Amino acid sequence: MKRRTVYQKSLSVRSHLAAETFGKHFLIWIVGAFFFIPFLWMISTSLKANTDIGRVPPNFIPMDTKMVEIDGQDFPVYRYSLDDGTQIEVAVLGFEGEQARAVDPSAPDEVMILPKDRLEEVLVISFHWENFPEAMQRAERPGINVNYLTYLKNSLIIAFFSVIGTLISCTPVAYAFARIRFPGREALFIVVLASMMLPFQVTMIPLFRLFNEVLGWGDSFLPLIVPTFFANAYDIFLLRQFFRTIPEEMCDAARVDGASEWQIFSKIVLPLSIPILSTIAVFTFLWAWNDFTGPLIFLQSHQNYTMALGLQDFQGQRQVLWNLLMAASVVFTVPIIIAFFFLQKQFIQGIKLTGLKE
Amino acid sequence: MRQNTRSRRWPRLRPLGRKERRSLWTALLFLSPWLVGFLVFTLYPMVASLIYSLTNFNGLVSTRVAWYSNYAELFQDPKFWKSLGNTAYMVLFSVVITLFFSFICALLLNFKVRGQSIYRVLFYLPSIIPTVASTMLWIWILKPDNGVLSALLGLFGLESPNWFLDPNWSKPALILLGLWGTGGTIVIYLAGLQEVPQSLLEAAELDGAGWWQRLRHITIPMVSPITLFNLITGVIGTFQYFSQAYVFAKFASVGKASITLGAPLQSTLFYSVYLYQRFFEFRWGYASAMAWILFLIILVCTLLLLRVSRDSTYYAG
Repeated sequence: MKRRTVYQKSLSVRSHLAAETFGKHFLIWIVGAFFFIPFLWMISTSLKANTDIGRVPPNFIPMDTKMVEIDGQDFPVYRYSLDDGTQIEVAVLGFEGEQARAVDPSAPDEVMILPKDRLEEVLVISFHWENFPEAMQRAERPGINVNYLTYLKNSLIIAFFSVIGTLISCTPVAYAFARIRFPGREALFIVVLASMMLPFQVTMIPLFRLFNEVLGWGDSFLPLIVPTFFANAYDIFLLRQFFRTIPEEMCDAARVDGASEWQIFSKIVLPLSIPILSTIAVFTFLWAWNDFTGPLIFLQSHQNYTMALGLQDFQGQRQVLWNLLMAASVVFTVPIIIAFFFLQKQFIQGIKLTGLKE
Repeated sequence: MRQNTRSRRWPRLRPLGRKERRSLWTALLFLSPWLVGFLVFTLYPMVASLIYSLTNFNGLVSTRVAWYSNYAELFQDPKFWKSLGNTAYMVLFSVVITLFFSFICALLLNFKVRGQSIYRVLFYLPSIIPTVASTMLWIWILKPDNGVLSALLGLFGLESPNWFLDPNWSKPALILLGLWGTGGTIVIYLAGLQEVPQSLLEAAELDGAGWWQRLRHITIPMVSPITLFNLITGVIGTFQYFSQAYVFAKFASVGKASITLGAPLQSTLFYSVYLYQRFFEFRWGYASAMAWILFLIILVCTLLLLRVSRDSTYYAG
């Protein structure tokens, strides 16, 4: 008797738990749809035919009019409802007013005249992979050899050098703030922190003049790359936080043994910092890859555009080529997604580091 | 006597010892990338733009000192107030809605369910999609004539607002696309939720506290430093809101004679957008004055937030 009640109770608890688990999954999926569906829509659009773009209501899966070849020419296929309700597929040769000239694709010699309102377009799933090469090769202006591949190359160059610059410039600075004892260290570090609050707009115009008029770097990658070689407050802060977690005794022991600061930095601290260095590399790449304002201000001619700027080529004065634009966006996004799956740990680590106190 | 009081207030700089001097030189060597960068790319431009803001500098014609005239003009410029108002709208609504939504998402992702790690990736992924690409994508989704959302609303018999023509709906559209990329904030909240001691929650549960009470009295106070961090970075970021608005306005003026920043009807003319417009028109003195006002606003807001939050933020240890 007693045993039975216990059994019953555990059963009800179990079904209660199952309901709770289901409820949790359900909630996550509801919100998750908001995050995921736009993503699928981007990929779906990138594979659509031009004719499938403006369709109302939109198809979630890329569809296109079914075509059939008759005498070496392609004609659209329509579904025709006979009087008894059965449907046949016909190839429409052309429309004349309210009527259509159509043939049976299996017997193309006999032309039928059919009323237009009883014809219905036949759609088949069709993925237009050629959107990708077309988007890549589309030149902004004919005759000028600038296309999306150039933008891709430019983005890669800028992102690559930004990563190198940030890594080699921020590490020694952060080391000095974390491990070298020198007068004025704390005060100087407050300056570093304070400079993070400065909006880019304040320095924008003098920097524009400096790069364009003084240094003659107008319309080149240099204004975007060179400053990364001179350290930035944000990454100095991150690195310093990490360096401080390395036991000071290790550095002191090396100092007693006569190691110079440079040796301690390069032989002890740097090898221990691979995780944070890769995190910073990932985020710097992402930042340079995404950056819109910098290239917008410093790059003028199309051959120097990055992908972020080049995306706008698909948006004309009159219309937007959505399928090509989405194809280009996919190309723009895929390297980031791939990087994310390989370097997930670095991503998450980086976000946590920025958000959490020491 | 007098010297005594002085030395108490200002500790006299004593000459550095030999060892200290050496360590200072070593440190300066290590610091040199930042020192040079700070002087050339931060301090000099700061001083220069402050000086520009006091002139009628336009990059071309000879420059005259104009003292406060840029600032005086600013305060009488209806577009300045318009852009400030639009930005305040975003700071108030976008930041708060984003924080709230991110916290809810973090709570969901903290559920101990199967597939948790996949769900986390799913929620985070949109945030790493380049801003321009995600803005374009959302424009395509929101298009009132043949967008997905309008078809979806149609299923429920609703009509899609015209996000690109109606000035009342353009900012909500931008908030919506901002929510899509809030993955970073979610992850920060999630990390905070994992720091909440399980023992505390269990003890409260034994004492009969329900889900809501545990959330209200334990979880929310425990993550309050993270809320403050997200709030401050959100406010600073939103005051500089630019790329999305630029791309959005460019689309909203497709088919028109020229690209109108702030379209439709100046409803997306945010502070940084207007500043960029002035910069683009070579009104560099004016733009510099705007930049300095922006800096002051950000500074004041940050300090205010820090001040106000002092009593309502919980710090462990």
